[in-house]
Amino acid sequence: MIAEGFASVMLDPFVILLIAIGVVVGIIFGSIPGLTATMAVVMFLPVTYTMTSTQGISMLVALYIGGISGGLISAILLNIPGTPSSVATCFDGRPMAEKGEAGKALGTGVIFSFIGTVLGVLILIVISPVLASVALKFGPFEYCALAIFSLSLVITLTGKDMVKGLISAVLGALLATVGLAPIDSKPRFTFGIVNLTAGFKLLVLLIGLFAITEVVKYAEGVRKPENFTIEGNVKIKGVGFSLKEFIRGIPNAIRSTLIGVGIGILPGIGGGVSCMISYTVAKNTSKHPEKFGTGIMDGVIASETANNATIGGAMIPLLSLGIPGDAVTAMLLGGLMVHNVSPGPLIFQKSGSVVYGVFFSMLIAAVFMCVFMLLGMRGFIRVLNIPKNYLLPIIVVLCCVGAIGDSNRLFDVWGVLIFGIMGYALIKAKIPLSPMILGFILGPTFESNVRKVSQLISRDSVFSHPIFCVFILVTAVVVVISLRSNKREREALSKEKQ
Amino acid sequence: MKMKKIVTMALAGVMALSVFSGAAMGAETWPEKTINFACTHGAGGDTDYMARLLARKLEEKVGQSVVVNNVTGSNGAICMTEYKDGDTDGYTFVLTNSAALTGNEATGLSDFGWDAFEPVAIYGKQSGENILVPADAPYNTLEELIQASKDAPGEINFGISTGGGVYIASVIMAHAAGAEFNVIDAGDAAERLTSLLGGHVDATIAPYSSAKEYIESGDLKTLCTLLEESPDLLQDIPTANTTGCEELVMNTLYVCLAPKGTDAAIVEAANAAIKDIVDNDTEWKEEVNSFCFQEPFCLTVEETKTELENQRTLFMSYAEYLQ
Repeated sequence: MIAEGFASVMLDPFVILLIAIGVVVGIIFGSIPGLTATMAVVMFLPVTYTMTSTQGISMLVALYIGGISGGLISAILLNIPGTPSSVATCFDGRPMAEKGEAGKALGTGVIFSFIGTVLGVLILIVISPVLASVALKFGPFEYCALAIFSLSLVITLTGKDMVKGLISAVLGALLATVGLAPIDSKPRFTFGIVNLTAGFKLLVLLIGLFAITEVVKYAEGVRKPENFTIEGNVKIKGVGFSLKEFIRGIPNAIRSTLIGVGIGILPGIGGGVSCMISYTVAKNTSKHPEKFGTGIMDGVIASETANNATIGGAMIPLLSLGIPGDAVTAMLLGGLMVHNVSPGPLIFQKSGSVVYGVFFSMLIAAVFMCVFMLLGMRGFIRVLNIPKNYLLPIIVVLCCVGAIGDSNRLFDVWGVLIFGIMGYALIKAKIPLSPMILGFILGPTFESNVRKVSQLISRDSVFSHPIFCVFILVTAVVVVISLRSNKREREALSKEKQ
Repeated sequence: MKMKKIVTMALAGVMALSVFSGAAMGAETWPEKTINFACTHGAGGDTDYMARLLARKLEEKVGQSVVVNNVTGSNGAICMTEYKDGDTDGYTFVLTNSAALTGNEATGLSDFGWDAFEPVAIYGKQSGENILVPADAPYNTLEELIQASKDAPGEINFGISTGGGVYIASVIMAHAAGAEFNVIDAGDAAERLTSLLGGHVDATIAPYSSAKEYIESGDLKTLCTLLEESPDLLQDIPTANTTGCEELVMNTLYVCLAPKGTDAAIVEAANAAIKDIVDNDTEWKEEVNSFCFQEPFCLTVEETKTELENQRTLFMSYAEYLQ
């Protein structure tokens, strides 16, 4: 069966071609703010209906891998995450680029995206059934605890000014309440506007907060002369960093892979959260946490390894349980079922060759992604040479196109505009924006699960849920540690001032 | 003054005539340009798959391109609100399923029913929602499950998603058959299956096509289908209305609608084209057999209206418990 799967991919030049096309299109979609991996898959899904199962699924996973990886380009070069999964890449990627290390940042991102993808896929191949049973153990109690744990990371993410970080996270959670409530489907904050019943899309919020604000920020300084050429003239040797730096990053990469796969397995959380959790864990365990955010490789490694490892993780429940973990895998599920491949416990017996074909396709796609991105790197950096007064308006247009493309509503463009203005006001108030994304994603997870728990709690005790208890304990420990380290940072800062 | 009146009358007459003849000509030569399908559900789901299958086949048949757009959100309510007063030129259609169309009205998500549209055709049946329990559960029929819930009120956790068709089914079981489940929200179909497999709920409802793998692997068993009749290719699954709850019928049918005011002749022409594909196309039959476990199924315009009205009557009779 393995040989059959291998042959169906490797011996069919058309499949290889489709994978290459998928990766390139994915990278383009991922790198353009506003267009995401999800959209690339949506666009190509109907095209695959008429292909064979191996061809179709191979192309879709290639789009997925390309799309998630491409996001790092605009995150590093423009400080605008190309996809939700690259939010944390901005934290250190952009400062690196500002220091003139754009090439190094890109090289790091690409290589560790590759490592994250491959390790994630290997975990998927080797222990998928075991991990799938872990996903089943996660009921409402466990999700509740996971959401609390993830939200507690906001404290680390925001560092010195915790209150402002919390304001941002709460604002994100509040925005997520617009629309139909979980459980009872009652409309909230919709003011009778039918478009609001579907709530705001993560993509719309992301574009508004990161892309529009970046453009407005630039417009602010438009009268000051700027030298466009300095940033762009970056010389890259090889992949941009040394072997020694690579070896130093390996423990970080392994940890980030595990976090990425772990988050990927749990349906409904996704790459946007995994990169941020991985980033904060890397910061917390680092010997020099104060350097995070100033432009160090570790930050880029943590974010990019984790978000790509999430791909392998998300494929685990998809293939062995038939449960999609995010928007992309939900569409992959449709793509599989159309080809009469029914994910579930019997998938290896019934469609083994297709599944192994998918595994090989993912590995090939990872290699293509790495090669194309490294080759393209020098070209990507030239983007910085384009005068911003030409570049940024184009980006705004693409963002709006992306916002419409998500669910074909002009309404979402208004959302982008409003969130852009809101984001700019928040930046002026020195409120960090990334906790808002965490709040926006995890708020609904927490709410719907806490409401489910309330339906169960009458005959179910929290103490019969060990995973729940462990998460709550870990959260308590993390909160105490972060509070103490934040306090130390503050004290050190005030001493310096004196 | 008189002259002006005559001219006005004449102009009005010409306009009326041109509208009339335009409409008549429109129906005869339909379709002359690209047809737009607005699908109420996202890519990857069954509603989208059926809409795209129909689009592809219709394109082959009428020789004009058929473009599918997914306008998603709120179980289709957003798309239907936007398109019910849409372009009536005969080139705009809404593709949805009947459970969303009538269910949204019953739960209050929409404030209009099927009659806000010109129904074109019901062009297929879903594989059917099934009541599922773990394979080792002590009950083998819906009747036994409901009896078990009466023996131990509130002890059996029944997973549903509030607001959807599955919720309506749980309300019907409670009110018509006296079931006393502890009804809890367990999310969408995939999440409900996960909850059932993980033991977080004791019974749930999910489409056969999603649960098929687990039924075959021996993890789960199906007690019954909520369809009025067992699926054509799954005759061994009994129906809910004969095995424990007579009122429980939920036919999820794939529907094509046109905006209100679309010319009746064009609606008939579209219905004829769709009906010809469904009844005579061999590829259509193969796809529907393997995807829905059903034989091809298509109704005329009048039959479609009757069927939608029947569903609406049933759902609306429980509206007071749903809203």
